Formats: sequence, structure tokens, C-alpha cells
Amino acid sequence: MLQLAIRSVRKRPGRFVGTLLATFLGAAISMAFNSLHDTAGAAGIDDTSAETLGLSAGVVGGYGTLLVFFAVASTLTVNVRQRASEITLLRQSGATPAQVKRMIMGEAVLVAVLGTALAIGPAMLGGRLLLDMFQETDQVAPGVDHVFGPIALSAGFGVTLLASAGAAFLAVRRATRTAAGARAPRARLRTAGGVLALLGGAGGVAATYAIDPAEPGLMAAPAYGAILLSVGFATLSGGLLRTLLRLFGRPIAALTGAGGYLAVHNTRRRAASLAGVLMTLVLFTGITIATICIQVVESDAIEAAGVGKSVEDKNVETLNLVVVGIIAAFCCVMLVNSLYAATSYRRHEFGGQRLAGATPRQVLTMVATESGLLAVIGLFFGTVAGLAGALAFADVRLEAGLPGETVLIWLGTAAIAVTATMATSLLTARRALRTPAIQAVAVAA
Amino acid sequence: MRLVGVSKVYGDAESAVTALDNVSLSLPTGSFTAVMGPSGSGKSTLLQCAAGLDRPDRGVVVVDGAELAGGTEAELTKFRRNRIGFVFQSYNLLPTLTVLQNTTLPLRLAGRRVSRERARTILAQVGLADRLGHFPDQLSGGQRQRVAIARALVAEPAVIFADEPTGALDTRSAREVLELLREVVSAHGRTVVMVTHDPVAASHADSVVFLADGRLAGSMTEPTADAVAERLAHLGDVVAAGV
Repeated sequence: MLQLAIRSVRKRPGRFVGTLLATFLGAAISMAFNSLHDTAGAAGIDDTSAETLGLSAGVVGGYGTLLVFFAVASTLTVNVRQRASEITLLRQSGATPAQVKRMIMGEAVLVAVLGTALAIGPAMLGGRLLLDMFQETDQVAPGVDHVFGPIALSAGFGVTLLASAGAAFLAVRRATRTAAGARAPRARLRTAGGVLALLGGAGGVAATYAIDPAEPGLMAAPAYGAILLSVGFATLSGGLLRTLLRLFGRPIAALTGAGGYLAVHNTRRRAASLAGVLMTLVLFTGITIATICIQVVESDAIEAAGVGKSVEDKNVETLNLVVVGIIAAFCCVMLVNSLYAATSYRRHEFGGQRLAGATPRQVLTMVATESGLLAVIGLFFGTVAGLAGALAFADVRLEAGLPGETVLIWLGTAAIAVTATMATSLLTARRALRTPAIQAVAVAA
Repeated sequence: MRLVGVSKVYGDAESAVTALDNVSLSLPTGSFTAVMGPSGSGKSTLLQCAAGLDRPDRGVVVVDGAELAGGTEAELTKFRRNRIGFVFQSYNLLPTLTVLQNTTLPLRLAGRRVSRERARTILAQVGLADRLGHFPDQLSGGQRQRVAIARALVAEPAVIFADEPTGALDTRSAREVLELLREVVSAHGRTVVMVTHDPVAASHADSVVFLADGRLAGSMTEPTADAVAERLAHLGDVVAAGV
């Protein structure tokens, strides 16, 4: 089965581009930040430098790694889910569920190892650049050399392998159970996981209040909280999506015609399986709003401390925004990645609709309506999760509400989220529509 | 329904495969015709060209008195909507819609008034009155194919094309589906064109048209399963003798 896994990766590399990209980027980010731990732990480094590096690796590296874990896991879930027909075929050829599991998980691990190995070079470079920036802003002594060691490597391999194997395991289990005709008992487990993540998130946000406002690591707690809240909301969003469609399904369908009618029914029936794409969307909005707001509040706090902003402070601010920007960009790529995978997989479904009499335009209207619904739900939950973290931080750090920039930050984030969601799904759908309908139906049949 | 000199070539100049070679065919309204031939004889291509799913390279297709024209997919789709119904081997029902919603879908897509009453009547005629709220994955193969037939009927098309409609069914469900197609002709007055490789299925039709290597290779009226099987077995000889 492992041989089959290796062969299936080698013969069809195209199918693994999505997962490879996810593990590569995830590992690169996680290793770049965690290499600062290695650097801080090197012999002969002064205390101030070690503290700055350890703090940055601990705070940003910590929640960044958690974020990478969920983003990679949800992207992989979307990817592995598409192999249901292949799994059925394997089972029909005599593979036991355990063998199928070994093959799909073997592939996932193989791709994760490859992605992480490829990420080592870029991560070393990225870590060095981060260190350079710390040195330029005089936060780290100029003599310190960048070290890429065991902490970075174990973080990189650990997070991608765990996320990949876990996502593959769950996806295969789901697929083999459906194939065996059993009804998936996932709902309870999913709900339990979602509630747990929400509790963890609320705990993270609440923990902000228990930390000394002057403590430099203060921002970690609300950031962790925002991530966990995002995950919890995304997991539980299916129910809300269904309720929303029960209320607004008819007006939406009336407004958008037959395409919207299909969208409403698709989304209603598939609400649970949309969670994968929704997770990346909520994570993107949540973490972007939270971290940028936190950064703005932090800058305001420094200013309020009475000291006028020096060039140095400005540099620190820029550096922090760069770091936050990297994390947000990663989330955005993951969003595009999982949406692309989810939409290109629907070629067969689009074919069926076209044969039933839908024009390409009606199919595109359907995709646009679905993406619109997804974007609204994702934005809503992302905003709640992000603002929860940001509010707690502002309250503790400044003893004030959110700064005026929040509106701008939200608008910018929303614009990017909506544009990425709509553009990715519509462009992918348009490409999928280029295959003649009769072929599109035959391919997957 | 009429085809005049229809040809279709797949592939580029060097590796061209002629799927249809100057096929002319005329099917009267209210007839039930089976198109038969071995694999690769072009029968599926014939159906796709006749049904406006694919464009022939040469020749004219006339359905219900209107010439199948227009270049874009949207134009072809609009042409098909009001004139042509489909029944596929793989049913092609949308999994997220119920039986009733699947049946009324062609009307919705065409922007026509959706008469649930009419859809219910048709579904009752195909024996699915008690399955309106079910989803396709809760139905047997035979039941799914009957939903597909109801869906094909709801837009009141002139012609219904069936591509191996019994290919995935057991003999009992297959017979029920074939009897239903027969009823589509006798009770609803539609024209039915069915592509099949099964002589038993073909024997339910009024007449059988044989196809070999992209050309017409004879026809048969009032077919029996044995006679059709016999003719199919010797189809190769006829073609060889013709060349």
C-alpha cells in the first residue's frame, strides 16, 4: 500500500500541487519563526537579544504555528475529500479499509514530508531576514548569527505531518464509512470539537485580562483566542448557514433566478461539508482583524506612554506589521487554495446541471451566489472572532475601546476576503465550464 | 426529427477519427426508435449531435421543425430546453434536490412557470407519487431513472433522447423503464430516440436503426430481440461487403 501511495504521488503530481503548496507554505512560516528560538538558544548570546527573539518566536511563532495547523488541516480535508470515487474503486478492487487508510495517509505524509523538506531553504532565508530586521531595528545585537536548528525543524515537520495525517485520517474514515453505507456519526463529534474550540478561544480572550498590561507577551493570549474562536465558529457554522437559508432562501432564489435556486439548495444540503472552506475564510478574516488591530493598539500604547515616537519605534511597528502581514497573506493563499480545490472538483456537478438545461451563465450565477453566502457567513464569524481578541487586548493594554482605525482595517480585510472568494470560485468555475458538458459528466462517472 | 448528411470527426488532421460519416435519418413524430450498433459505431455521437449536445462538423439537424443552429453553449441550451428531453444511463439527477425539485428543474432553468401540480401528476404516472420529498440517493436505480423520465417529460419536449437508459438497471427495472418510454410515445405523443446495445431493450421500440463505423447499416421495423441480435451479430459482414 505504501508503494501504491508512492506511485500514485509520482504518477499524478498535479493532484498534489494544492496539498504540497499548503504544507510548503505552512512549514516555511512555522520554521522561519521557530528558528528564532534556535537562534536565541545559541551560546554566547546576550540577554536582551535572547529575550526579543524568544518573545517573537514564542508569540508570533506560537500562534502562527497553531494557525498553520488548522489552515493546512482544512485545506487537506478539502483535497482528500475529493478522492471518494478513487477510494470506492480501491475498495471494489479488494482493498480493506485499513489498506485504503494506509494509502491515503501514506500519500498525505509523503507530500507533507516533501513540502516541509522543500520549505527548509526558504525558511532559513526567511528566518535570517527576520533576524536582520530585528538587528536593523536594534532589538537584537548585531553580532548574533542566525541558527536553524532542532526547534525549527521539529516545529515544521511536526505541524505539517500532524495536520496532514490527521486530516487524511478523518477524510478517509468519512469516505470509507459512507462507502460501507453507514450513516456518518460525525455531527456529535464535530459539535463537541467546535464547542471545545469556542471554549478554548473564549478562555484565551479571557486570559488576556489575567496578564499584566505591561507584559510583552500579552498579545499572544488574544491572538490564540481569536484563532480558536475562528475554528470553533467555522465548525459550527453549518447550523447557522442552514437557519439563514431557511429564512432567506426564497428571497435569494427570487432575486438571482434559477442559478440562485440551485445555490440555495446546494448550500443547504452541503452546509456541513462547506466547513473546510469556511474555516480558511474565517481564519483569514479573524486573524487579520485581530492581529492588525492588536498592532495598532500596541503602537497607540507606546505613544500614550508619553515617549514620542522615535524612528526606532516606527521601525518596530513596521516590523510587526510585516510579520502580521505574512501571517495574513498565508491565510489568504490557503483560502484561495482550498476554494480552488473545492470548485474545480465540481466539474462533474456543473456538467449535470448543464445537461439538465442550465446555461453556463446560470451555473456561474449559482457559484457566485454560493460564494456570496460563504463570504457573508465567513466575514460575520471572522469579524466576531477577530474583534473579540482585539477588544480584549485594547481593554487591557489601553483600558479603552477599539481605535478608530478598526473600521478601515475591517473594510480592507472584508474587501480582500470577498474579492478572493468570488474571484477564485468564479474563475475556477469558468475554467471548469470549458469542458463540454457531456465529457464533464463522463469523466467522473 | 430529421438529420441530413451529418458528419462528425474527432481529433486533429493526423489522428482523425470519423465518428459519423454523412448520416441522414428521418424519424416521424410519435415514433419510438432504437439506435443500435457495436461499441465505437458512432451511436452516442449520433445522439449527441441530434440532441444538440455536440455540434456536427457538417450537415443539418432539424428538431420539431426548427433547425438546430447557434454557436454558443447558451444558444444550444436554450434550443434544447423547449424541444428536447434527456434520459441518461447515469440518471444525471442533482443530488441536492428532491424528486419533485429535480422534476421541475428544467422549467425553473428555462424561466417558465413551475406547475407543481403537473409535476406531481407526471411523477404519479411514473409510479413515484409517494417519493416526492426523497433525495436521489434514497431511491433505487429504477426509481431514479423514472424520475429522469418524469423530468424529461415535464417541459413537454417534442423529442426525448435516451442514452442506454437501462444500462445500469436489473431486468425488472429495465422492463418497467422501457414500458414507461413506450407510454411516453403512446400516451404523450412524444418522439423517443433510444441508444442501446441491448437487443431486448431495442425490441421495445417501433423500429431499430443500425449503425456501424459511423454509417447507417440498415433498419428493422417491428423488431424482436432475437432478430435484432441476429442482425447485430452479422453487422460486420454487411459493412465488409459494402466496402
